[in-house]
Amino acid sequence: MPPSIHPVDLILALREKHLTPAIVFLTSRRACDEAMQAFDHSHIFLPPPRQEAIAAVLDKVIAQYPSIAEHPLIPTVSRIGVAAHHAGHLPSWKIAVEELMRHGCLDAVFATTTLAAGVDFPARTVIITQSSIRKSRDFMDLTIGEVQQIAGRAGRRGKDLVGFAIVTPSPYIDLTVLTKGFTGHPEAINSQFLISYPMVLNLLKAHPLDQIQSILAKSFAQFQLNQRAEVLERKLDELRDQMEPFGPRVCTDWITEWQTFDQVRRQKSHRAPVRRHEPPEVAARFHFLTPGRVVGFGKSRGVVLRQYRSKGQKSPMVTALRQGGGITESPSSTVTEVSDRILDCVDAPVYPWCTPESVEDLLRQLDELPTRLPELPILIPKDNEPIPDAIVQTLGDFACPTCPSRAACQSDYPLASKLRQEQQRHIKSIQALRTSLWHRFQEKIDVLQQFGYLSPTSRLTDDGEWARLIRIDHSLLITELLRADAFNGADPAMLAAVMSSIAHDDDRPGAFPRVSSGLGSLLGQVRKLAVSLAPHEDPPLLRADIAAVTERWIGDPSLTWIGLCKSTTMAEGDIYRLLARTLEFLSQLRTLKGTHPGLADSASRAIAALRRGVLEELP
Amino acid sequence: MTTEELEQLLAQQPIALLHRLARGRVQRHFRAGKRRLIEVLLRHSAENRPGFESDLQTLIGEREARPAPAPAQAPAARKPKPAAAPRRSPYKPFEPESQEPGITLSSWLEGLGVPPPQTFVPDAWQEDAIAKLREGDVVVSVPTGSGKTYVAVEAARRAIAENRTVIYTSPLKALSNTKYTEFSKIFGADQVGILTGDRRDNGQAPLLIMTTEILRNLLYDAGGGEIDVRLDTLGLVILDESQYIADPERGVVWEETIIFCPSQAKLLLLSASIGNPHDIADWLTTIRPTPCHLIKHSTRTVPLRAGYLHPNGKLAPLFRTVGIPHGHPGHLHPEAKRLFEQYEDETLPSGRRR
Ligand SMILES: Nc1ncnc2c1ncn2[C@@H]1O[C@H](COP(=O)(O)OP(=O)(O)O)[C@@H](O)[C@H]1O
Ligand SMILES: [Mg+2]
Repeated sequence: MPPSIHPVDLILALREKHLTPAIVFLTSRRACDEAMQAFDHSHIFLPPPRQEAIAAVLDKVIAQYPSIAEHPLIPTVSRIGVAAHHAGHLPSWKIAVEELMRHGCLDAVFATTTLAAGVDFPARTVIITQSSIRKSRDFMDLTIGEVQQIAGRAGRRGKDLVGFAIVTPSPYIDLTVLTKGFTGHPEAINSQFLISYPMVLNLLKAHPLDQIQSILAKSFAQFQLNQRAEVLERKLDELRDQMEPFGPRVCTDWITEWQTFDQVRRQKSHRAPVRRHEPPEVAARFHFLTPGRVVGFGKSRGVVLRQYRSKGQKSPMVTALRQGGGITESPSSTVTEVSDRILDCVDAPVYPWCTPESVEDLLRQLDELPTRLPELPILIPKDNEPIPDAIVQTLGDFACPTCPSRAACQSDYPLASKLRQEQQRHIKSIQALRTSLWHRFQEKIDVLQQFGYLSPTSRLTDDGEWARLIRIDHSLLITELLRADAFNGADPAMLAAVMSSIAHDDDRPGAFPRVSSGLGSLLGQVRKLAVSLAPHEDPPLLRADIAAVTERWIGDPSLTWIGLCKSTTMAEGDIYRLLARTLEFLSQLRTLKGTHPGLADSASRAIAALRRGVLEELP
Repeated sequence: MTTEELEQLLAQQPIALLHRLARGRVQRHFRAGKRRLIEVLLRHSAENRPGFESDLQTLIGEREARPAPAPAQAPAARKPKPAAAPRRSPYKPFEPESQEPGITLSSWLEGLGVPPPQTFVPDAWQEDAIAKLREGDVVVSVPTGSGKTYVAVEAARRAIAENRTVIYTSPLKALSNTKYTEFSKIFGADQVGILTGDRRDNGQAPLLIMTTEILRNLLYDAGGGEIDVRLDTLGLVILDESQYIADPERGVVWEETIIFCPSQAKLLLLSASIGNPHDIADWLTTIRPTPCHLIKHSTRTVPLRAGYLHPNGKLAPLFRTVGIPHGHPGHLHPEAKRLFEQYEDETLPSGRRR
């Protein structure tokens, strides 16, 4: 048996049961293209009136977007009534397919799931062939929300009495992910508040530093952090109740008093001095190794999933999720660094101590963390050090031996001190939840001050004033390039080429045109700077072959779209997206007329040269 | 269990189970074939052998509890799973199989077709959303295909009638273009404009379409003192597909847009079904001048049915009921289940099942 149904059989089955039109979601663009090729030698033609209807709709779209007139898929589309729709296609082609679907002309569209959220056409039936999708380099199970978004395209209001979502298996499909997705309640969504350099500059342009915290407090991120803090506060309240019986006695802080007395007493009597043989820093740190805390283990990094004490030795242990996915149990002394960062994770009572979704989520968050994290300042108490003789001599000073509540203190001490530690831990966590956004914002301020975009009082410097207009990815690299005068003398084609190599974040391999030597050396310069900025901003791919595509398009005004497409193995849609993003980057450079007139002019000319042919068809 | 025994046990499992075991343990496990997956899993198991073995037992336990795949007539011989295998995963409670037979394919397909043409009557929730927008911000969270666009259009129509500017944002340029065409047909080409990074078509029109990033940038400029588009007359901001607020890279743009949205403008957030629309509405209420109203429902207007299509072309209902059995992922149709287990067996790289 083949691992998945043949596209022709699929269409026949759907037609037979009157389940058309259908959207068939496939795993990759390639799968969509191959599905289309499968119809090359089939003879399941539509009746002539339907073929004519398709041709009529296509003619209309072509009149508006001539770029698709010669599209190689047109014969299959118009004779068989199936089409492909994915990111490798030109927007105008996708519009044509959407228009055909809207008119009910097609029996099926093969599409990729990445597009599920971005397409605006429904169908009677949706075919699902996978249970996971590629998200930033990794395959992840579809969430319930995603399954419902995909399935939700089935059943058109006004055109269908019922909609059908049909699963047809392909290798690696996990049916339970889909059945859970169909029957479940969509997941709660969570804030993803990334603080970027342009955000910091633009906020500080409009507001003085002392207002920033209250602006950050308005974010959904803070709203959700507050929700978590409130949970902890409720726990704190409970603890406070539990602590009630342990309130002030003869002395106000009897717990500390007893602790010190007890210790002195033990040392005095030369019994085993300390209960546990832990160095004080291990003991001090242990309180902070709470679920979600990012910690370092020598060279690698991890997130704490739980802390506990080992059964026999009662030594402090942590279970941690390591980068790369391993879950380890190790003595807390192996933790070499405790960062001031807590990641979201949903606790669970059993291994792996958080929900499976959390594991995936934590791994992703771990990967996204900057290389350097602020360390948590931890005060290391000296209470395990031998108590200086001076104090020991004064054992008689303690009131405890004759105190009326001595017996009560002695018996309550273990529980009371445990509760108090827990209290302190919660207070620390609540503080972290309340201030983490602000700390992250300050980290960015520090960098911007270091580079001179902000003054020591966090006001925008002259450079900061123009740098805030660059609101795209890799903004720090771009503004640093401008300050280094890297584009001095670069013609519009070269400027655009560098911008596109910064904008392009796809590492799909392919064979591409060669770069000019001028562009090559400019890119070398950009790369050097990008590497030096790496501690503060992830470097872009800076692919020379990508830059060359743009350089050609702008450098040679007589080059046709077809000619450009032929010079590379990139898909048409990818070239279009590359150039469209380049346009976006260039248009931000164009806003720097006041401070960088030469550059702005060069950007304007690049935009004018870039916007021609296909790139002129849409706004 | 010795490592050798563990390896054998792993080798006997279907690959789907191995993938499930690898989840959260092994990165990119979906890329690995069976042999490689076993290798990686074994290496990984060293880090926490007891946890690993118990998870494996749980998964095997769950699998064994499913009735034998074939032949369909002889399920009685199957013994219940041994009590020895402790189940440790509380998130996927195993649902006992009921012996109810599934519905027939023909009744599953029944009712398929085109409804008779009807005059357009807005749904109650649509009316409600539009009405509530008079009083304050509105968050709409309803299933895909319910008719959120109607709410956007009517709300925009009212705001324009009051001489207010309306901004409509979508997460993608492609969607913006589609809406530009659609709204131009509804309101007339002179009433609708579109803004992109480098181009501005009809930028003085009362209804402006743009991506959320472009709006965020406009709001940055307004904050910095440079008034751009007619923000002073802005009366309504519609954020379509606002579940994007949870997008790992771009979500922050939605938050910024909402935080910086001028207070005189109403906010209308249109979102597909999400798990916590209350949180979004509560959040808006805390930061915006007027309380935010939440409109939500989870019933699909056009009922949905789920099916299973075998690679040999055989079609079966996916669940035992005609509709989707909400809250009961285990209510699989016996036929779909049999076919899928057959599929898993046949596509296993090692070919063999216990
Ligand atoms: N009250 C209604 N009665 C009938 N059809 C409606 C109604 N409201 C919307 N529709 C139709 O429902 C379909 C889906 O609407 P749309 O706004 O695209 O959904 P979504 O909620 O996914 O944005 C459209 O074809 C629209 O014309
Ligand atoms: Mg919509």
